[in-house]
Amino acid sequence: MRRRIWNVVRMEWAGMAATPSSLLFLVVIPLILVAQALFLSWIVPRFVNPAILGPTVTDAGALRLLILRQFPFFVLLIPAMVANVFATLGIVEEKVSRTLEPLLATPVRTWELLAGKILSGALPGLVVAWASAALFVAIGYALGWGSQLSSILTATFFLDTLLLMPAVSLLSFILGVIGSSRARDAKEAQNLAVLVIFPIFGLIAVQVTGLVQFTPVRTLLLSLAFLAVDVILLRGAVRLFGRESIVTRWK
Amino acid sequence: MIDHVVISTEGLSKRFGDRVAVDALTVAVRAGEIVGLLGPNGAGKTTTLRMLAGIIAPSAGRAVVDGRNPASEPERVHESIGFLTESPGFYERLSAERNLAYFAAFYEGVDAQVAAARELARLGLADRARDKVGTFSKGMKQRLALARVLLHEPRILFLDEPTAGLDPEAARNLRELIVSLRERGCTILLSTHNLSEAEELSDRIAVFRTRLLAIDTPKALRERQFERRLRVRLADGVEPSLAALREEPYVREARAEGDGVLVVLLADPDSDRPRLVSRIVQAGGRILEVREDERPLEDAYLSLVREEES
Ligand SMILES: Nc1ncnc2c1ncn2[C@@H]1O[C@H](COP(=O)(O)OP(=O)(O)OP(=O)(O)O)[C@@H](O)[C@H]1O
Ligand SMILES: [Mg+2]
Repeated sequence: MRRRIWNVVRMEWAGMAATPSSLLFLVVIPLILVAQALFLSWIVPRFVNPAILGPTVTDAGALRLLILRQFPFFVLLIPAMVANVFATLGIVEEKVSRTLEPLLATPVRTWELLAGKILSGALPGLVVAWASAALFVAIGYALGWGSQLSSILTATFFLDTLLLMPAVSLLSFILGVIGSSRARDAKEAQNLAVLVIFPIFGLIAVQVTGLVQFTPVRTLLLSLAFLAVDVILLRGAVRLFGRESIVTRWK
Repeated sequence: MIDHVVISTEGLSKRFGDRVAVDALTVAVRAGEIVGLLGPNGAGKTTTLRMLAGIIAPSAGRAVVDGRNPASEPERVHESIGFLTESPGFYERLSAERNLAYFAAFYEGVDAQVAAARELARLGLADRARDKVGTFSKGMKQRLALARVLLHEPRILFLDEPTAGLDPEAARNLRELIVSLRERGCTILLSTHNLSEAEELSDRIAVFRTRLLAIDTPKALRERQFERRLRVRLADGVEPSLAALREEPYVREARAEGDGVLVVLLADPDSDRPRLVSRIVQAGGRILEVREDERPLEDAYLSLVREEES
């Protein structure tokens, strides 16, 4: 079982290595996100009058803290996008190259195939996201934002990156699988997959408006909610991914 | 062991919505046999092979492959079969070797690298092992696809149009390979449109069009579909012999064809043949040749399929 799952993971990675553009994507998008977050944290407090954001924001430091607070959710985007792109490309490629039927004629189980695909997208996605977070924090400290950063590196932050992030990237992957099972080509699958980013934007919006405080308990509950949705959707995905429907309906 | 049945179906049926693709197929294939599945486009050959390989589930009836039901235990069945799909694909950006090693690693107890190298050599692709599959010609891909189904040395093979798209020499090599696999004890069910190929390879041919129309040896199929006529070539005029033969009770029909050829239908084409020869000689005919009027398998096939149509 493990051997078959790892076989899928290693093959996916070999495929990625043979397509330098996917590696570029894996590295460049996170770097852009990190650079953007750093840039905003640097430029906004410099040029924006804190007073416009209301009475609680009294100085530039408080304004920076407000921006830095968005960062955990910003980081969520990274694994979600990476998992998503790999999921859709991975499955669309199987369809286009007509490898699914030969694959399904081997002893591999459907769920093993899906598990392999999930791991192959989610592992690099999470590694990159964690590396981006570390990079961001390191540069933040180097820029002298230590006091503000230490106030965001809380239990919530760690729950967010270690639990919520994997849950969201799994959701992203599953939706990618479902999307690509309906899509006729890679482009259509990508368009469908972009839909996945919306719930994350929703979370960011909620965070930005400050209507909801993300306490550790709430983050935990949110993660569990995402995991529950994951489980429900995964069942649907496995069914969609049934041998019969792949071979006879995925045209 | 010879009569040991390894593939059997009972009332195996598949419908897609209202369309019946396979209707109540009942067959048994013995170990070591090559059975050719012959039928027009859309006859349900691919659908049948997919059901046997546990890729799609039958709507009714059941199949047993190597003692197991492919619908309920597909993965167990996959351990012992090799299925060459109708349009086999590869990861084109990766090498032939990497592609095969990937598929091989799904089987228990198979050393993926060793199996990949062995099959590449067997199919004559060893020198292209490291090339990307995307650079392969259609025929090379077809050979690679066959290498892929042999990785775990299965005892049962389902081959869906194995020689489609191959040049005559490659097709011949592949047929030789199929025969050599049978010699190693493989049981093979192959679908094809190519009648001479079916005849050359198959121990038995199943003529199939949604329903099973006939299953028998190529020779028996021809004979069943057509009465066996004898062609007798004479050195001179046929008229005296023809008149004499028409008097004989065991001659059911006799006519002249062209110059010097008699076409005769006997009650029993084997045991009446010596009598026929001596009667012609008696009537003064000088016989140059007596042979059976062989109708090609194609005629038998077309007549079966057309009977079904009407
Ligand atoms: N997924 C599907 N949905 C609906 N109908 C299907 C599906 N797959 C096959 N069919 C129908 O089932 C019938 C048999 O198809 P099948 O592919 O098994 O034929 P075949 O004998 O392999 O033909 P060919 O020689 O062209 O390969 C056809 O009428 C086909 O249209
Ligand atoms: Mg077919």
